[in-house]
Amino acid sequence: MTVQYSELIQPERVHGSLYTDPSIFAEELERIWYRTWVCVGHVSEVARPGDYVRKNVAAQDVIMTRSADGEVGLLLNRCAHRGNLVCEDRRGNSSSFRCPYHGWTYRNTGELLGYPYNQGYGGKNKLELGLGRVPRVDIYQGFVFASFAAEGPTLKEHLGAAAGELDRLARLSPEGEVELTAGWLRHRAKANWKLLVENETDGYHPQFVHGSVFSVTGSPIGALYSDKSTAVTRDLGGGHSENDLRPEFRRAARPMGWFGTSEARVPDYVAKMRALHGEQAEEILIEGAPHVMVFPNLFIAEISVFTIQPTAVDETVQNVTAVQLKGAPEMNRRLLSQCVGSVGPAGMLLADDSEMYERNQRGMAARRPEWLDIRRGVGRERIDENGFRIGAANDETGMRGFWAHYRGLMEEGAAQ
Amino acid sequence: MDQWIIASEFAEVAVSLDTDANGPRLRVEDLRGGRVRYLDALELESVVWLSDERVRELLDPSAGRWSDRPADG
Repeated sequence: MTVQYSELIQPERVHGSLYTDPSIFAEELERIWYRTWVCVGHVSEVARPGDYVRKNVAAQDVIMTRSADGEVGLLLNRCAHRGNLVCEDRRGNSSSFRCPYHGWTYRNTGELLGYPYNQGYGGKNKLELGLGRVPRVDIYQGFVFASFAAEGPTLKEHLGAAAGELDRLARLSPEGEVELTAGWLRHRAKANWKLLVENETDGYHPQFVHGSVFSVTGSPIGALYSDKSTAVTRDLGGGHSENDLRPEFRRAARPMGWFGTSEARVPDYVAKMRALHGEQAEEILIEGAPHVMVFPNLFIAEISVFTIQPTAVDETVQNVTAVQLKGAPEMNRRLLSQCVGSVGPAGMLLADDSEMYERNQRGMAARRPEWLDIRRGVGRERIDENGFRIGAANDETGMRGFWAHYRGLMEEGAAQ
Repeated sequence: MDQWIIASEFAEVAVSLDTDANGPRLRVEDLRGGRVRYLDALELESVVWLSDERVRELLDPSAGRWSDRPADG
């Protein structure tokens, strides 16, 4: 029976089966993960010709490569002969991949170079086979995106207003570029991927879920999400949303305050930024990095970058790395240590959040009540000067934007 | 003898400078297959100048070890 998403997704509530039904998960793979644009990684992970890293788009095992001519490509990790993985290591440097099963060898562009004992195939170059390639690859601010659909909206169209948030992140670098070179941690959570997405810009939970961390560290983050905060949650359209903390940072007017530090602690970085940007440096240093969820799987939490990978209806892998700013070694050390402290293997924030995702998933096994509520702030939403819907810092405006877009994708072209 | 191991998941090779002959040469050992090849300066220079097309031919498994014809050397 075809799922009627209009019945499961309503303006102020969503049905629990959206997180638990395997058939819905299967449909999401086709309609979202293998059709729209999904963030795979970053060009800095394959900086040199021959560099490769293994990535995932949902269940698809993908190899991100840089060819001899410098082009970044995405290959499917599947030998054209018998389907074996051609690449096992998470990262490396090789112009070619050789399948361990029968020795078939491919260029890192996917081209088949040869196969052992070729007389069995009538000689050399008799097979027109190669590794599968992701049909569309595009890059924005160094972030590499994949689309398994040969046609459709461009990456720029997909990103829409979220592109500006990636610009905001890049402008924090004295050289205008982010690098994701610190290595990735992989966290597995027994929870549906949408719970993670929803949590990323949920400003209602921090004071509860992270309350103990904030209290022992004296962190001011909790106050950013209080009812007294002037920060907002913004629906950027296209399923993207952000917690815009800039109003609070502007009110404090403290350079580097967004990073919980002072300019005296990162003098080289601040000096570089002032030399580069002049008067505008103050705005950049005060406003800091974005807190944005780019549909469906790229989350930037100021100092950390996450990609979300659904592996089953009730299991998700969250990959996380520290933001690194090109040309800012002084900042990068601090960015890395803060990232590890918050979302590393023993990271205090991620441990809190993971517990919540998994409790959510377990709780939803209960059959009543059937719905999850997302109405917080409906009555006080407004449209900002740029036409975006915004709510208070701890409202569920972003979630409602996510679900509206999700519903559109899941219903698009479906038989009525 | 200084030796470098150059390895990936696809191959593992030991590289060292051999000075036992009348002139220096590079010793390259396939650590998985045990085979050793020496490359003199002129051969190395030629490798540097090989076209990408020729290198691709070398990577064809049927070009050497797994050829239907007996391997040379």
